[in-house]
Amino acid sequence: MHPPRPSVTAIVVSHDGARWLRETLEGVLGQTRPLDRVVGVDNGSRDGSAKILTEAFGPNSILTLPRSTGFGEAVAAVLDRLPRAGGEEWIWLLHDDCAPDPRALEALLWAAAEDEKIAILGPKLRDWLDRRTLLEVGVTVDRSGRRDTGLEPREYDQGQHDGVRKVLSVSTAGMLIRRDVWEEFGGLDTGLPLFRDDLDLCWRATAAGYHVLNVTDAVAWHAEAATRRRRRMAASSDHPRRLDRRNAMFVVMANLPFRSLVWSLVRNTFGSLLRTFLLLLAKQPANALDELVAMASVLGSPRRLIKARKARRQGRKQGYPHVKRLFTPSGMAYRRLADMVQNYLSGSGPMDSAGRHHAVISEPSKDDGDELLTDAGLMQRVFGNPGVLLCLALVAVTLAAERSLLYGDLLGGGALVPVVGGASDLWQFYTSGYHASGLGSDGWAPPYVAVLAALSTIFLGKTWLAVSVLLLGCVPLAGLSAYVATRSMISYPLARVWLAASYALLPVATGAVAGGRLGTAVVFVLLPAYAALASRVITGERRSARRAAWALGLLLAVGTAFAPLVYVLVAVLGGLAAVSFGGVRRGVGVSLGIAMAVPIVLLFPWLAQIAGDPGRILLEAGLHRPGLVDPRLPADALLLLSPGGPGMPPVWVTGGLIAAALAALLFRRHQTVVIVGWGVTVFGILVAIVASRVPVRGAPAWPGVPLAFAATGLIVAAALTGHRVIELNQAGGLRRAGAAFLVLVACTSPVLVAGLWIKDGTRGPLQRGVPSVISDFAAASSTGGESTIVLRSGADKRLAFTVLRGRTPLLGETELPVPDATRRRLSDIVAGIAGGRGGDDAVTLATYGVRFIAVPAPVDPKVRRSLDSDPALVRVNLSAGAGLWRMVQPLGRAYLVDDTGRRTPVPYTQTSGGGLTVVVPPGPAGRTLALAEPAGAWTATAGGSTLAGRTVGGWAQGFDAPAAGGRVTVAYAAFWHDAWLWIQVVLVGLVLVLASPGARSAEAAEEYVEVPVEREAQGVLVR
Amino acid sequence: MRALIESRFGFLALVLVAMTALFGVAFVTRPGVAAVPPATPARVAVQSVATVCPDPGGATVSTITPQGGTGAGQATVTEVKAKASPLARLDQPGLLWQRDVPAKSGPLEIAGAGAMAAGLEATQTTRQAAGAARGLAGVRCVEPGSSAWFVGPGPAAADVVLYLTNADAAQAVLTVMVYAGEGPVVSESGNGLVLKPGEHRAVRMRDLAPSPLVMAVEVRTISGRVAAAAKAVLGKGKGADWLPAAAEPATSVVVPGIPGGGGLRELYVTAPGDSDTVVHVKALTRDGFYAMKNRESLDVPAGSTASLDLSTGIGGQPSAIVLTADVPIVAGLMVTGTGTKQDVAFSAGAVAIDIGSVVADNRSGKKISSRLILSAPAAAGKVRVQTLPRRGAAPPPVDVEIPASRSKEIKLAAPGGRGDYSVVVLPQPGSGPVYGGRVLDESTPEGLLITTQPLALARTWAIVPQIVESPTVVLP
Repeated sequence: MHPPRPSVTAIVVSHDGARWLRETLEGVLGQTRPLDRVVGVDNGSRDGSAKILTEAFGPNSILTLPRSTGFGEAVAAVLDRLPRAGGEEWIWLLHDDCAPDPRALEALLWAAAEDEKIAILGPKLRDWLDRRTLLEVGVTVDRSGRRDTGLEPREYDQGQHDGVRKVLSVSTAGMLIRRDVWEEFGGLDTGLPLFRDDLDLCWRATAAGYHVLNVTDAVAWHAEAATRRRRRMAASSDHPRRLDRRNAMFVVMANLPFRSLVWSLVRNTFGSLLRTFLLLLAKQPANALDELVAMASVLGSPRRLIKARKARRQGRKQGYPHVKRLFTPSGMAYRRLADMVQNYLSGSGPMDSAGRHHAVISEPSKDDGDELLTDAGLMQRVFGNPGVLLCLALVAVTLAAERSLLYGDLLGGGALVPVVGGASDLWQFYTSGYHASGLGSDGWAPPYVAVLAALSTIFLGKTWLAVSVLLLGCVPLAGLSAYVATRSMISYPLARVWLAASYALLPVATGAVAGGRLGTAVVFVLLPAYAALASRVITGERRSARRAAWALGLLLAVGTAFAPLVYVLVAVLGGLAAVSFGGVRRGVGVSLGIAMAVPIVLLFPWLAQIAGDPGRILLEAGLHRPGLVDPRLPADALLLLSPGGPGMPPVWVTGGLIAAALAALLFRRHQTVVIVGWGVTVFGILVAIVASRVPVRGAPAWPGVPLAFAATGLIVAAALTGHRVIELNQAGGLRRAGAAFLVLVACTSPVLVAGLWIKDGTRGPLQRGVPSVISDFAAASSTGGESTIVLRSGADKRLAFTVLRGRTPLLGETELPVPDATRRRLSDIVAGIAGGRGGDDAVTLATYGVRFIAVPAPVDPKVRRSLDSDPALVRVNLSAGAGLWRMVQPLGRAYLVDDTGRRTPVPYTQTSGGGLTVVVPPGPAGRTLALAEPAGAWTATAGGSTLAGRTVGGWAQGFDAPAAGGRVTVAYAAFWHDAWLWIQVVLVGLVLVLASPGARSAEAAEEYVEVPVEREAQGVLVR
Repeated sequence: MRALIESRFGFLALVLVAMTALFGVAFVTRPGVAAVPPATPARVAVQSVATVCPDPGGATVSTITPQGGTGAGQATVTEVKAKASPLARLDQPGLLWQRDVPAKSGPLEIAGAGAMAAGLEATQTTRQAAGAARGLAGVRCVEPGSSAWFVGPGPAAADVVLYLTNADAAQAVLTVMVYAGEGPVVSESGNGLVLKPGEHRAVRMRDLAPSPLVMAVEVRTISGRVAAAAKAVLGKGKGADWLPAAAEPATSVVVPGIPGGGGLRELYVTAPGDSDTVVHVKALTRDGFYAMKNRESLDVPAGSTASLDLSTGIGGQPSAIVLTADVPIVAGLMVTGTGTKQDVAFSAGAVAIDIGSVVADNRSGKKISSRLILSAPAAAGKVRVQTLPRRGAAPPPVDVEIPASRSKEIKLAAPGGRGDYSVVVLPQPGSGPVYGGRVLDESTPEGLLITTQPLALARTWAIVPQIVESPTVVLP
């Protein structure tokens, strides 16, 4: 029993589509299953589409409508006029830019015959131009209305998605729909003139229990003319993207049951804001605006939404489970995020997936296996990548070698101050104009504090985590950075693996970890990025070169903040490159100038501070201690890239690397680059020699940064010849042996360093569980910002001290500049106390805001005796671990001095930015309110009037105390500091935007404008 | 040149040349082995000194500040009590000031500042011709501190009284520990003694630990400072004297200033730590080191005090005792004078007088004599001895050399032939470590009255260590 043959009516809606229409009509008329009726609708075309339609279908089958008619309206207008055929009747909707395959209708109808519930079917859509590219095999959405085709961008159709399956929605291009179903739902919602009307209809149909199928045996080629802006739209004046977004949100919100709607509302709002931000980052302000406007227009007209929801009320909730199954699975969101990050990293902008249409997800139950398969593909892709494997290996080596540093309390030692405080403390430190730490300073906080603060913020405020990752993880990070950075320089992946491993496992890295040298660790990770960006600046296409220049400037600023010497190294090479390439390639000079100027501008106030003390250029973030460097670094160590100090493997381990780089000189290919690499090496070693021979504050600097720089050149030179070695290997015979030997020699360096590192562990001053020099008691008793003098006797009877304000200093606080005069004065006082000179040293010390003197173990008996015998000090406790003495009469951060010189402490509360609110008791005139802070831009106001300032004791800030007493507000005027901070924020934002990959829409559009013309010509030929 | 560039080995050669040049530069510029200059601590004049004479009632208090300070200065003698006005103001360095203090006086604080501070020294000396406390008894007025050690006879052998004074503005909380012959004495009453500012207290050791025959007493403050002194009265006809403060526990201790002549010499050694030890005992006489037969070593159990009779070993020679052990020890020594009625004197472990020493109260006369006994246990010592009279000009100083590993006795003569005087002992540059003691004795028909005082470091100079401001102290 055959069911009666159904009747099919094709409706082709045309609107300025002459370019595609001929081919479309050929496809419609050439169907293997002949159509029962064909109707053409022309929405006021101006390019002769109507004529073409009339030629094809005859004048009786043509309907002409105004230009502003939407697709849904046009179809509805046809159906109004079209009499029923009786029996089962299907409508086949076609766009003017959608050419069906001759067998398309046959396949669709065959599939439709399977089940009575099947109401809507759609063909597999392929690209009009690139005929093998898949566009859609069904479309679904996630709860935020984001369209998802389930396809990779530009995925080729190799039958991988074939089959008939249930989908949430199919495009109206080629949609075959039962007429009764169409009429049941009132057709496409005319409120959605262009986009997502199909989704809306299919959703309603699915919710009502009908099935929507995608039939891949049916194929249609679709130009997506409207979405790609290849024709002007008359149906709506809005930008298509904006319209698309708005309709997407509208459809989702109109069709979701109430409870899901609330969630979706929240999600959409935040999602849109985030998307807007990302789009801004990607320098696509127009898209960002569209996103915002789309959201606003949906949320801005609630009445329309309520009306639409009312119309869809029936069966919405009951049908939702059917719909829900067809949504984008949640795992897809992560995958898409991963893809987005990947895209961003590859430089194509974070938003590339926006333009393409994605599709298909079928019934999850049916597709479980497929999902697993795709996941396996991802795993395979990830773990098959030599870079990932290398990183994992380096992580394993690092974990094994740093086993003693992985767990425990405070991380510190060597050059690293124990890491205390959180991101907010670091931000507060960086942004305040006056630092009430140590002796008090109005200098600029080192800018690396801001970098660490930003990182810590990312790590949920945990500074220790950020520092651990940067310092302890510098080996795998450097490996990753070297592997990724050389992607465009070296094509042969194994050579890159060797390069990354050799670079990451340099003695500089193990030394930086052992010595707690955060500065070197960061620069070590950044150097390969500098190399890659610099090469892009010099050789890249103009726009990308400029972008690379901004990025290089920004990263160079970060590196310079940690170790200023890297700027000098890069700037000298940059200058040389500008001289050599400036004349050859346009814009290279300017780009290099940008890269060199950005760090100076971003770091300006701090760099000016550094310039006042040029020796600091050789130093890096953290403490400079003589014990951490080899003052007599042998010449061979310098040449073998071994910077000396703790954590060094034997100097000869890098011999293989040097030998490989020397051998690289013998190959003729890439000889120029190899020579440049060697030039960089020679220059780096020269700077390293200077750095290790010039004493700065009693000890030479650690030449880690220049040696890492030298190694970069060396390793790149050696790795460039990697493929040549493979060629030798393939040549066989003696050459093969030579190649094998060369590889063996080259690999000794990373293998030996890794092996020795694991064997010895990190035996450096860096350790976990550094005891705090400030006892809990002292910390708890110093809530008013009072200071503690920490006095430690060194190995050779030398004493050293510092001033801390009731807590271990934050990273960078130890690098605040202290005026020499203050340093000397205080040293004299503390020496008097520690030596037992007697007198009023301790009383004078109280004017510096000192409340405690802490002596960490081992407590020198002489010092102990001296402190014990000072009548102005009282011992709080003394144990094997530490001793603590307190002032009998501490003065705190503010006190009054009367005519006779008698000092009395006054109650005060601390305000942010180092300021104070002091309550001055009434008393005689002529008193001075003194602060235990160096004189500077302090202001004091009492009752609206400003107090006259003066200097007390030759260094401290004082004010004329009001005789009547009262509340005095003391603050530090830091207007210029704050202004500079804002300038920095703006500049960093600007540089970030200029450096990030930009939009590619312009390029894409160009590409398409040209090609369709050709297609048209072809079409004519075919005819 | 062209050939060089076109040759396969040209660039290799160039790079090798460059590397060699770099090696040369690095090699030539490599600094030599620079000996780290030793930290040279600076000496600065002490700016202020405060000493407390523990129980001056009925005694003669002598105080002196040697010349040498710059600028003006003043010293005050004040009784330690709540509202006290100075008994005397002194502003003449180099002159001995003496006063007989009426009985019932509380402790005196002698505080100097400026030029009157550097080297300020004060002593209280009592001479009683009869009674239970018959004898010469002198003690150096002590600087308040956080701990003090006294080693001598225990309450079973003598009536020992601890004088504790808090002359500071802050309250002092202290603990008294007793190390007896049988081990540490646990006593509740010695814990947590509180001395308010200006308060003084005499503690009978019998109340803390009644039974020990020999003992060491450690006074340790938990907070604040205390000036502590101890007096031992052995009983009628047996003499009395103050116990000098012993040097902090150390593995090598020198007990200097043991007078020659007859009478008992008894050594007390305490090992306050947790382990037993064997103390090696050697005498340092004018003939050199001398290991006494059967008295070469002394076993001291952990936390206890042991005694050793050295009377026959030293053989009546002026000497010092040098003790070495493998754990820190504290030592004291009792000297008994000859005669039908005896008097005792005590010495104790002392430190080397690197920056000099001052003894305030010395007397010389027909029957009374003052002697210095100086010992140089290591390198030869060279000291300058200067006497300072009560009034008038000081005589020229005398240089004395002590051969290496020898002791030497120096008889002091009063400047101008009479009166009391002070003496300043100053090691000269190049001198080895010198330890010393001062013996003051008076012969009476009943027997010798004697008191000794180990030379203590003068409060002239403070050794101010080299100090730098450096944030690296936050790390070990």
